[in-house]
Order: sequence, then C-alpha cells, then structure tokens
Amino acid sequence: MRLLVLLWSLGPLLWQLRTSLLRPEALVAPLLEGNPWTLANYQLVLSGDPPFWRYLANSTLVGLATTLLTLLLAVPCAYGLHKERGPLRWGVGLALVAAAMFPTVLLFLALLEIARSFGLANNLLTLSLPYTALSLPLAVLLLRAAFADLPGELEDAARLEGLGLGQRLRFVLLPLLGPALASTAVLVFLASWNEYAIALTWISRSDLLTLPIAIARIGGGSVFTIPYGAFAAATVLGSLPLLLLVLLAQRSIVSGLTRGAVKG
Amino acid sequence: MSSRSGAGLELRQLGREVGGRCLLDRLDLQVAPGECVALLGPSGCGKSTTLRLVAGLDPASGGQVLLDGVDLSGRSPGERQVAMVFQSYALYPHLSVEGNLDLGLKVRGMARRERQRRIDATLELLQLGELRQRRPAQLSGGQRQRVALARALLRQPRIVLLDEPMSNLDAQLREDLRPELRRLLCGREQPVIYVTHDQQEAVGMADRIALLDAGRLQQVGSPRELYTNPANRFVAAFLGRPAINLLTIEPGRQLGLRPEHLRLGDDGALAARLLRREWWGHQQLLWFDSQWGTLRVLTAPEAPMPQEPRLGWQRQHELWFDTESGARLAA
Repeated sequence: MRLLVLLWSLGPLLWQLRTSLLRPEALVAPLLEGNPWTLANYQLVLSGDPPFWRYLANSTLVGLATTLLTLLLAVPCAYGLHKERGPLRWGVGLALVAAAMFPTVLLFLALLEIARSFGLANNLLTLSLPYTALSLPLAVLLLRAAFADLPGELEDAARLEGLGLGQRLRFVLLPLLGPALASTAVLVFLASWNEYAIALTWISRSDLLTLPIAIARIGGGSVFTIPYGAFAAATVLGSLPLLLLVLLAQRSIVSGLTRGAVKG
Repeated sequence: MSSRSGAGLELRQLGREVGGRCLLDRLDLQVAPGECVALLGPSGCGKSTTLRLVAGLDPASGGQVLLDGVDLSGRSPGERQVAMVFQSYALYPHLSVEGNLDLGLKVRGMARRERQRRIDATLELLQLGELRQRRPAQLSGGQRQRVALARALLRQPRIVLLDEPMSNLDAQLREDLRPELRRLLCGREQPVIYVTHDQQEAVGMADRIALLDAGRLQQVGSPRELYTNPANRFVAAFLGRPAINLLTIEPGRQLGLRPEHLRLGDDGALAARLLRREWWGHQQLLWFDSQWGTLRVLTAPEAPMPQEPRLGWQRQHELWFDTESGARLAA
C-alpha cells in the first residue's frame, strides 16, 4: 500500500527524469526496447545563451525577495488581526479569504497596465511586488492561525515582565512560530518559483527571464518539433533547488502543517 | 498585618464590562502589605477577571487600583511591578529554566553579572539549581510551578498575583506545596492575591477570603468568619464540605444546618431514615431522609445507630435565609 502511494506521487517525476535521459526518437519507441541513456538533453539546455544557471539565479532572486517581503508584511498583519476583537476582524478575515481565492488570470491585464505606467517591467525586484500581493492573503491567514494557536498567557506573562510589542515578537512569539514561518515561507517561495502568467507579461529581456518562461522558450530544431527531452531536462534542473529547500525545511513544514491538530 | 492607612493594595469600585455583559461589578477590596487574600468562587465568578485588572492585562471599565495610595490605572502591566503566576505557568517553551528567568531582566537592561547573581539566588531559594539548563517540557508539573514562582519572585515585585497556581497539580503535591508557597510568598512586604476555586486551598493559603459569585463580592473575612457567620446562602453553601443542609421548613424561610452540627440520637426533633453511609476513617457521613428532605450528617466513625434515629441540633447553630433572595435573616 505504501509502495502504491509512493508510486502514485513519484511516478510523474520519475517519468520526467527518464524522459530527460532519453534521445527524442526513443520517446516514441516501444517501452521495453533497449534504449541507450544520454545526457544530450542536458547539454542542450546548459549550452543555451544566456546560460541556464542565469534563469535559476533570476528565479531564486525573485523567490527570495517575494518570500522576504511577504513575511515582513504578513507577520504584523496576522498579529494585528489576531488581536483585533471588533467587527474589523470578520470583515478583514472575509476579504482575505476572498482575495486568496481570486483567480489570478483576471488580474494580469491590469497588472500589465500597472507595470507599463509605472515602469516596473523588466525588473526582477519589482516582479516580486505582484507575487507578494498574490501570496499575502494566504500567508496572513496561515500566520494568524499560528498566532491563535499560541497560548495567550505566554504573551501576558511577557507583558508583565515589561516586554514591549517588538520584544515580545522577537523573544517570545516569533521563536515559537518558527515552524509556521518556515512552512509559510516555503509555500510562498514555491508559488513564486512556479508563476508563469505575470512573469511572461512583465519580463521581456532574455537575460531576466524566470525559469518557467525560459523553459517554455526552449525551441526545437524546427517549428514542428517539440523538444520533450530538453523540456524534461530543464524541469529536472529547475526542481533541484526546490528539492533542496523542502529537504532542509522538511521537519518544520510537517510540524507546521499539523500545528494545532493535537493539543500538546 | 499592618494597618497603616493607604498602604498595600486597594481596589476601589473596580469593574469590567464586555459587550454589555458585566464580568465584575464594582469590587471594593483591600489587601494589606504582607497579607494574602484568596479570591474564591466558582468558575466565571470574576476572580480571574479581577486579577487581570490588577495586573493591567485588561482595561477596567470603571474604578481604580491603588498601590500604597497611588493610582495604577494609567500604567502598563510592565510598569506596575506586578508578578503573576498563571494556571498554565506560561513558561517560555523555547527557553531553558535560566533563559525563562533571564528574559525579563535582560530586556530591562540589567547588567549581566547582576542578572546572574539574582538568578542564582532565586534558583537556590527554590532548589532549582540542578534544573537550570532544562526546557519546560523536560520538567514535571511541580517543577514547572516552582520555575514560574521563581520567575515571579525574581523581579522583586510590589504585588504578587497567583491565578490557580496549583490546579494543574495532583492533590498530594498540592498539599505538600502549600506550606512552601506560604513561606515564599506571604508575610513579606507585598500584598498577595491568590485566586482559586478550591476552598481548602483558600483556607490553607490565605489570611482572608473574598468570596465572589457572578461578578459580585459576596463576603470578605477570615475563613472562620465566613464559615460561622455567612452573609448569605451562597456563602454558607459554598464553604464547608460536606455542604450545609438547606431545609425549607416554612414558606419564605430556609434553615441552614451544617452536617457536623446535627446530632444523631433517639430524642432529636426530627425523625429520619438512614439512606446511605460513607465511611471516611476519621469520620463518617450519613445520608438521611426526613420530612424536610435529604440531610447530610457527620458523626464519629464508630457512632452507634439507634433503632429509630432522630436528629437534633442547638439553636445557636441555626442559620436562616430568605428563600427568594438567599439573604441572611436574623434567627
């Protein structure tokens, strides 16, 4: 049973890995025929101009900027919302859920207009602005739930000891929110890493492309061939940093996701 | 107990209302320096609310908190020099015992050596020296409670507040800790308020008891005053286990008789039939049925049971209450 679930979730990834290591002709050959492995697809991807690592760096930069900005804004917002007892609590909470559910597709024409009139296009740091805006609602909701899970008496105790708001956040609340912060950060980073539509419209210079756009631009020998192998190789390369990130944050994410499930 | 006027803690007409619901109704209470007053009452009676108002954790909707004659109303919790021990202890889970004690001193900018000196002294006092590197999760309930106490005492507070500090401990430990708590907290200069719903704890800890119900102060006085001279039916029924017998003998009036004041014999005023017997070793509790309802009677463990049991009592032990309002009536 465990094996089945493992296959179910890993299957597509393994298939992608296999595809990336095969020559294009082998993709349509019968499955069991002996096909020689090849690194040709990786060579093709890595020999592009600008080099592939450039896109990785671009995406990493956008991802880090987005994550940092999102957390910086989401933490105070979540705290404020958690403390708010009036009617605002409901209203803002509802608005956040609505914003989190809003389809991005409807936004990007307007976003393009904004980019054009404020000169925000072709800049990796400004690209993190709409990403942050899109990630914020979910991040605030997640962090608010995390704040609500902390026992209120902890903060009371800190207040009695004379800790100001900033000190309470820094010495008591945020250290305890570590797992929640880590899992939120990973989610935000992932969303930014995978985003396509806005990056497509905001970035046109080829040395500033993010990974998803760059991968989509990989061309075949002619307009009639689709370079599946090269796509697969680029996807594998693009997934490696994420794999590393998730492995590093794994323990925090798991405890973050199950936070509040069991009274501890 | 000093009675220097204005010294100590004084709550004047203190009240709190949230969303039209009154949690605490104009409470007047004085706690002298070194005195320990227990706030006693059922859950939701306003005792924890009172504590949070004194600490400044919640805003009062009316009244004042005075310390040595100075109004604390405008001051933040940190400025009130109040120490509080919470029911959950509220230890910082990510810090060691030492870190828990150190944080409050550190943020006030105290020099490292002075902090260390104070922490060492307090850990010594509470015999926590060997546990200084442990995290709260690695401590037993009793140890956590001592750490919480250490953290409260460390700052040399001017008021000590305890919010059901022992309710998470088992009964045996509670009894063992009571004298220690008294030694550490009471009889110093600070006024102490001790919140509990356990009357044994209140009697064991406090010089005086303030009994609250539904946000109102019912009576305040020594345990003996409250027990022998209750202001109303609530006080009479809340204090004393097994509980007082309340008998409706005539319309509009209820007679209260404590179980230990009823005498079992064959010449009493009231005929009764034995229902059940609980044998406690040092005493036994007998349940009787009578024309006025069920009665609890405490007797010696080996008291003989008459053929036709009758219950008697002395006039001086009668407590009369108004059936409607529960107010105490003259005998």
